[in-house]
Amino acid sequence: MKTSRPPAVAHAIKPKRRPEVDVDVVVIGGGVNGVGVARDASMRGLSVALFERNDLAFGASGNSSGMIHGGLRYLTYDPQVTESSCRDSGHIQSIAPHLLFRIPFLVPVETRRSAKVLFELMDGFFEAYDGYQPLKHGKQHGRLTADEVRKLEPGIAGELVGGMTFDEWGIDGARLCTENAIDAIERGAKVFTGCTVERIERRDDTGEVVGVTYRDRRTGAVGRMKTSVVVNATGAWAPITAALGGLPPARARVRPGKGIHIVFDRRLTNYAIMARTIDGRQIFMEPWQNMTVVGTTDDDYYGDLDDVRSTSEEVRYLMQGMARVFPQIHAARAIGTYAGVRPTLYAFGPSEDGLSRDHKILDHTRDGAPGLYSMVGGKLASYRLFAEEMTDVLSELFGRGVPCATHTSALPGGDAVCDAIKLATRLEIDAVAARRLVYRHGSRAERIAERIGQRPREAVTVCACEPVLEAEVRYAVKHELARTVADVSRRTRLGLGACGGMRCAARCGQIVAEEQGLSPREGLRQASSFLLRQAAMRAPALGPEQARQEALAMASMRAELGVDADDPDEIEATAKSSVEATA
Amino acid sequence: MSRRIVVIGAGLAGLAAAWRARRNGHDVTIVSAGAGASALGSGAVDDVPWEQLVRSARALGLTPRARPLSDDLHAFASDLGVWSLDDDHLAWVATLAGRLRPARGRDHALLDFAKLDGARVLLPRADRAAWDADSLAAGLSDDPFARAHRITFVAADVPVLRFAEERRIADGDLALRHDAEPRLAWLTARLLDGLAQTKATAVLVGPWLGANTSQSEALSKRVGVPVGEALCGVGSPAGLRFEAARDRLLAAIGARVIADRVTTIDRDADALAITLERGASLLVDGVVLALGGLTSGGLVYDPPDHSAAADLPARVRPPFTLSLHAPVTLVAHLGADPLTSDATSSMHGPAIEATAWPRGDRAGMLESVGIRCNGARAAEGITAAGDVVARRPRTALEAVAAGIRAGSEA
Repeated sequence: MKTSRPPAVAHAIKPKRRPEVDVDVVVIGGGVNGVGVARDASMRGLSVALFERNDLAFGASGNSSGMIHGGLRYLTYDPQVTESSCRDSGHIQSIAPHLLFRIPFLVPVETRRSAKVLFELMDGFFEAYDGYQPLKHGKQHGRLTADEVRKLEPGIAGELVGGMTFDEWGIDGARLCTENAIDAIERGAKVFTGCTVERIERRDDTGEVVGVTYRDRRTGAVGRMKTSVVVNATGAWAPITAALGGLPPARARVRPGKGIHIVFDRRLTNYAIMARTIDGRQIFMEPWQNMTVVGTTDDDYYGDLDDVRSTSEEVRYLMQGMARVFPQIHAARAIGTYAGVRPTLYAFGPSEDGLSRDHKILDHTRDGAPGLYSMVGGKLASYRLFAEEMTDVLSELFGRGVPCATHTSALPGGDAVCDAIKLATRLEIDAVAARRLVYRHGSRAERIAERIGQRPREAVTVCACEPVLEAEVRYAVKHELARTVADVSRRTRLGLGACGGMRCAARCGQIVAEEQGLSPREGLRQASSFLLRQAAMRAPALGPEQARQEALAMASMRAELGVDADDPDEIEATAKSSVEATA
Repeated sequence: MSRRIVVIGAGLAGLAAAWRARRNGHDVTIVSAGAGASALGSGAVDDVPWEQLVRSARALGLTPRARPLSDDLHAFASDLGVWSLDDDHLAWVATLAGRLRPARGRDHALLDFAKLDGARVLLPRADRAAWDADSLAAGLSDDPFARAHRITFVAADVPVLRFAEERRIADGDLALRHDAEPRLAWLTARLLDGLAQTKATAVLVGPWLGANTSQSEALSKRVGVPVGEALCGVGSPAGLRFEAARDRLLAAIGARVIADRVTTIDRDADALAITLERGASLLVDGVVLALGGLTSGGLVYDPPDHSAAADLPARVRPPFTLSLHAPVTLVAHLGADPLTSDATSSMHGPAIEATAWPRGDRAGMLESVGIRCNGARAAEGITAAGDVVARRPRTALEAVAAGIRAGSEA
């Protein structure tokens, strides 16, 4: 088994660090761009601290469509975005092969006026896209007759002239963030999750950045870190973050676009299928990991970024569009939704879909704040490139000649292949559990296997839907910065299956609390708030089958935890008064 | 005068209705299509949701107390024979999630902590997915009730699984094995060893102590200290024990049982005509609807948009249906005023994300939807009881009380 590699910075020149700083760079934001910069900068020998207000991949990075697609849609008006996305998609594939899975797409073309012409145009369009496919090791497009389309996906409805296939890569965005963060930490970066930066301090006279003050949102502890450079990589939060440095929020403006996805139990199709909504937008259903995802919407969003929720309206809008192409979607069992807010580049006027998916680095020197940079725009697929561009700026600033190596050195777990079946046999665990473990952790599944070797009891399944073993939950808390049940869920997909956490949340809470030396009741409180949040996200997509399960989940929660179990005072008061009664 | 009564549903509400109607001397037939919420029950016998009990006691600065129950209810419970329903104290049970919670009564097999002050409770370790003795012991020891009553919990290596496959079989199957005498003797010996080793004064195990009847009293007697189960929210063997007790009770009272599904209830002059799925029909004087709520399948959430073709649903209708045709009205909490809104929705369905789950004091739509009733009466000749009734708490004793009322008025 291969373990971690020596850092690539062994021969780097010692930084010209000013004596009064604690770190060279403070990165704010634990999304994919933030952790990408933290990793890249650490690899190039800079000392980095990263602050994340909620959790890694809490925002858009963990709630995307889960693809590092080439940006076919942008080919007409943003071809450079398509090219950079495709190129970087190829790079991500070579540094984290375990996290990628192929998603073949199918575009059915309906018979209507000038459909034949449209079909030919599409063929040409996809041919142009084929030119980019080698960059991401994708397959060439295929041109299908109506019969062939129906043979591949019998559930597709309507009169067809034919269809096109093309090829994209799926990825678990939350795992991608986690692994970047872990790698950064192993290369010396400090990563603080659940820690919010409250102020970016600047000199009164020159306006230069001198440090940040931050607060741990759980303990309330306040701290200060001196630095000369702050990177604002907070996605949709970017204007808020800029304001913490005393800049007008409009200096780091984004156009926040909310997108929701509906999650269905199991894979309903082999191909991802494209459809159009009533207003002509492209949507899709994709087999993703062990479920099916339908997405997505794109609407300007001005609500609370820490609590983005889907609505039944949005769900019906997507279902209406999808059902025209794939009517059985109505009979499928929706088991949840998720929502995120894209930090799209700002423009006043265009519709959401017409906005550029490009990214930009804003140097706030021009706003009188030297040392402060904002990363705005971007996509999951090109995060690494965006991080590289940002780190190039930092590297030059600190006079480094070290070139970027994030596209050649593997992410944690991406360095070697781990055989899931052998692992299952060795650990006497379910083969599916082993396969999922290897998907999430790559070669580092061996580290979890070691835990089980030492403590066989940890081979017990905590979440049966996914499935997730106890050892993995403990590993996520110990080595992957998980602090709550929701954090564990983001890293392992625990509680996101058909039972919605009914069977595993309390147990996971107990483990999380124990690993962190917190009181078991804190674990239960976390479990309750996780369950209530998940219930709220499932509700908009509720169907007949799931409603039944929901009533059961409610009964279960009532019986075991109480629906207001997140109010510990209540039970405390009861217990006290029951003692008084006995006395 | 003896009337012909059909009770639809064989859960707690249906059973109580049948039991009460037989006492009135009526001729009773129960029609049941299968297991529902009562069979999935946890073994906690609540009158009101326990959080509500705790919340109101706290608001008034009072101790939550056991409220008195009707004589009929006590008589029913004693005939059923699976519950402890003490009038002088609330039961306190341990949940698998790691809490101690009050309950008005309990399935005999659940361990009651109400009178175990100062106890040292042994939790045997068992290699089963839903039973983590160590974290459960830590969680329960930290519970405010346990701390207040100086109850401590200790996990120990006491073998309670006899065969390797018992790591994987369902709780119900493991419970069934404990119905057998030799198994109980084997377990007694193991627990005695464990008690000697840990100096514990009570034993808490998973939901495994019998599928036909509770073995916990017998086991406690043999071992010499209280032995009982922890509460499992849904799918506990307490549901199996209820079903076994129900079948015994139905035989004892002489009610006829038909395993079928009712499809329609129609008026036929002064009588009601009931059609069964397999084609048979019955002409009766009274019907008790006790077919359960959403969990049991008596009510079905069926939003119009789910049957939509391209854009619009075929017709506008309420988002819920009863699983049989009957001349009754459904109501649900859908709008701002939960007491008056009928079960209608927009053409595409209700704003379910705002109403599905309970919020604060407002009941969730999924728990409050049901048949509109005046007392127990849903329509002429038709009474209703249990989870199928709108705006009643989904608790065991509520179902029984409503069943008794429906049975006596039928």
